[in-house]
Amino acid sequence: MPATLDIDLSILGQEVPLGRVDRELKKLWDSDEAKTRSSLMNFAIYSENAADLERNNKLLEEITSEVACRAMLILCQPDGAEPKARAWINALCRPYQGKQIVCSEQLSFYLEGGNAAQVQNIVFAHLDSDLPLAVWWQGDLTSNFEERFYSEIDRLFIDSAQWHNPTAEFEMLENAYSSDTSNFEVHDLSWTRSHFLRAALAGCFQDAVALKKLPLVEQIEITHAPGQRVAALLLAAWIAVRLGYDMDDTAKEIRFTKPNGGTVNLALHEGVPGCSLQQLVLTGPELRAEVRRDPASVFVRVCASCGDHENTEMLPADAESEAELITSQLSRAHGTSLYIEMVPMLREMLAKV
Amino acid sequence: MVIFGATGDLTHRKLIPALYNIAVSGDLPPQFKVVGFARRDKPDEVFRRELLEANAKHSRQQHNDELWGSFAQSIHYHRSEFEDTEGYMALGKLLDEFDKERGTTANRLFYLASAPEYFDQIMKQLRAAGLNKGVGDRWARVVCEKPFGKDLKTARHLNEVVSQTFHEKDTYRIDHYLGKETAQNIMVLRFANSLFEPNWNSRYIDHVQITCAENLGMEGGRGGYYDTAGALRDMVQNHLFQLLTLVAMEPPTDLSADSVRDEKVKVIRALRPLIGSEAVGQSVVRAQYTAGSVDGVSRVGYRQEDRVNPESKTECYVALRLFVDTWRWQGVPFYIRVGKQLPKKATEISVHFKKPPQVPFATSKMIPDSENTLIIRIQPDEGISLRILCKQPGQALFVQPVKMDFHYSNSFGKASPEAYERLLLDAMAGDATLFARRDEVEHAWKFIDEIEKAWHESPTPPAMCEYPAGSWGPKEADELLRQDGHEWRRL
Repeated sequence: MPATLDIDLSILGQEVPLGRVDRELKKLWDSDEAKTRSSLMNFAIYSENAADLERNNKLLEEITSEVACRAMLILCQPDGAEPKARAWINALCRPYQGKQIVCSEQLSFYLEGGNAAQVQNIVFAHLDSDLPLAVWWQGDLTSNFEERFYSEIDRLFIDSAQWHNPTAEFEMLENAYSSDTSNFEVHDLSWTRSHFLRAALAGCFQDAVALKKLPLVEQIEITHAPGQRVAALLLAAWIAVRLGYDMDDTAKEIRFTKPNGGTVNLALHEGVPGCSLQQLVLTGPELRAEVRRDPASVFVRVCASCGDHENTEMLPADAESEAELITSQLSRAHGTSLYIEMVPMLREMLAKV
Repeated sequence: MVIFGATGDLTHRKLIPALYNIAVSGDLPPQFKVVGFARRDKPDEVFRRELLEANAKHSRQQHNDELWGSFAQSIHYHRSEFEDTEGYMALGKLLDEFDKERGTTANRLFYLASAPEYFDQIMKQLRAAGLNKGVGDRWARVVCEKPFGKDLKTARHLNEVVSQTFHEKDTYRIDHYLGKETAQNIMVLRFANSLFEPNWNSRYIDHVQITCAENLGMEGGRGGYYDTAGALRDMVQNHLFQLLTLVAMEPPTDLSADSVRDEKVKVIRALRPLIGSEAVGQSVVRAQYTAGSVDGVSRVGYRQEDRVNPESKTECYVALRLFVDTWRWQGVPFYIRVGKQLPKKATEISVHFKKPPQVPFATSKMIPDSENTLIIRIQPDEGISLRILCKQPGQALFVQPVKMDFHYSNSFGKASPEAYERLLLDAMAGDATLFARRDEVEHAWKFIDEIEKAWHESPTPPAMCEYPAGSWGPKEADELLRQDGHEWRRL
């Protein structure tokens, strides 16, 4: 066993031979008369970082307490020499009407020297058939993120804020998405985290007076937590795509051209540690729309002023924990194509920062 | 019951454990005797001891020494070459002695578990020894194991040989897939439930998939035989065509063997022929596995397997797109795939229904891109699943696929009998419903022969594709479905 796995693996449940996973699962359920297995989908966490194993195990427990699924934990270490694989099974039970009787099943796989073929051959051979497969790919999209992997997925969760080279990663993502064999929806946690800002900003312009001024925007300012620049750029890309802006290729910095002429400048500010996106301000002649969330607050302050007209309110902010973000997305069923439509613009923006 | 090829794998793994289980269930006829017929010299006791070990390993019900002790007394060994006339005469005498011991004449069931090249000799010798006729009012029957021929010519020859020895009504061509509970249940599901049969046609069904995946390769020296057969002959011509006929057949007028088999033959006859290299290339994909891993264990490529020709042109994976040209199935593709060294062992049929118009949801993006699917699991975990769409609990209208599951293993509270148990009892009881009839076998070979011809005799044969061991087959098989707007079901 490599030194990197210096943790108690019994947290993963009962270790079983790879060739007997299905039989042992059946035994697990047969031996328990009082429990109900529930499953609506396959949900897998894929990680190449052994240090995250314990944290991911807990995350799965949290997620399955909200979403019934066949949960899978995949720890893949492609750099290992000889390919080896181990498997564990476990039942994750939660109360229903006062008793611990509704359970999801968890399968954990440790793939030493694992490549995409191993993931496909070993892990994906143990899916709950005919149910969708959602995979949370943690960290950078490595060489394992290839056709044999993504062609199996229905919903892909990523967190672009964790990427070390977002330009290259977004290109990989876009290529995979447009591949003939892929058919997945993308859920970027970094994008999901901006939901409260987007909803609040839309709220600013529900006011007819403010809406009329929207084409006059000349400046977008976003304040983000350290390390969350991609989240800020995603938000800017969303505004640009929704308002029909194009990138101004003549500018060295990020600047957009508006459909009716004129330009819009983007300014990013690094704020303090805390929630990923902290402030969004749109300004123009007689227009200032501001959405602000104090780092420690669970509320968002929304303010739109157009000349003498001003509207201010406080709205609840979304949760930011990974488990909550994931479960909220899983519970919403299907995503939209908006995110992937923004990626080309985002890549252009990344080239300029 | 006389088993030819009694020292072989089938006898040890399947036939004897099946007979033991029938005995334990109390369904074996009284004073039943088993005679193992084979070439090696060994006394009854040695033969029984070998079978005891096999039974302890392979029996469905737990091996019990006391029960085995009683059952084993009925097992005997008879040494003879298959072509030795004297050996058959001696066999006849042995059977007569048993009759004398019991004070009655017995029915006789001859089970051909030997390699198929000996069928000719065995039939000839049984006839010569007069063993093909029952004594008095007793019957004599023959059970033939697969492969029943390797093409239409050899199958016809075998049928001729068998028919010269036994009447068709006394000939049982076994296909153990038909003995599986779920396979038998297909007719019940279709014809005893008013829910399905009205929808079982091209108006409501989009396509059908039949998958037989094996996660093994050529272990145990199997490469020698397999390399002369291939997936198409070894699995499609018999097992998978049998499943296809059960899915596609019209309702029989009654459940007699011939009524059922009449309908099954019609399906095989209605298969749209694939003639010529181009037609075969468009609808059939063949492949061999290359080195890879299954369940984390490294596997060599097919051509590197023991007893396989390093330049072999034999397919160990085949995918087909078939059409059954009947009123009921016009335009509905039946996709069949079978392969070795795939990620898991599973045989399943999935019936994919057409999507409804979804008018009420037309403006919503909340409907997943999935259709109702009925899944019939033949092995392992025999059962049925139905995938339907449901509203997720909550205020918004989100729709999600869910499964309704039926498992034989826990719904009835007892284990299903093994296929061989059912089929052996049927053969003893004279019920041929679950056995292939002569015309069924010949029509199936006729269809298969055209594909083999395109592969091996055409100047421009369709390509032999490759897939890594442990994957779900070659990309070309995925493409076969993608060009129709479909994809293989994820098992």
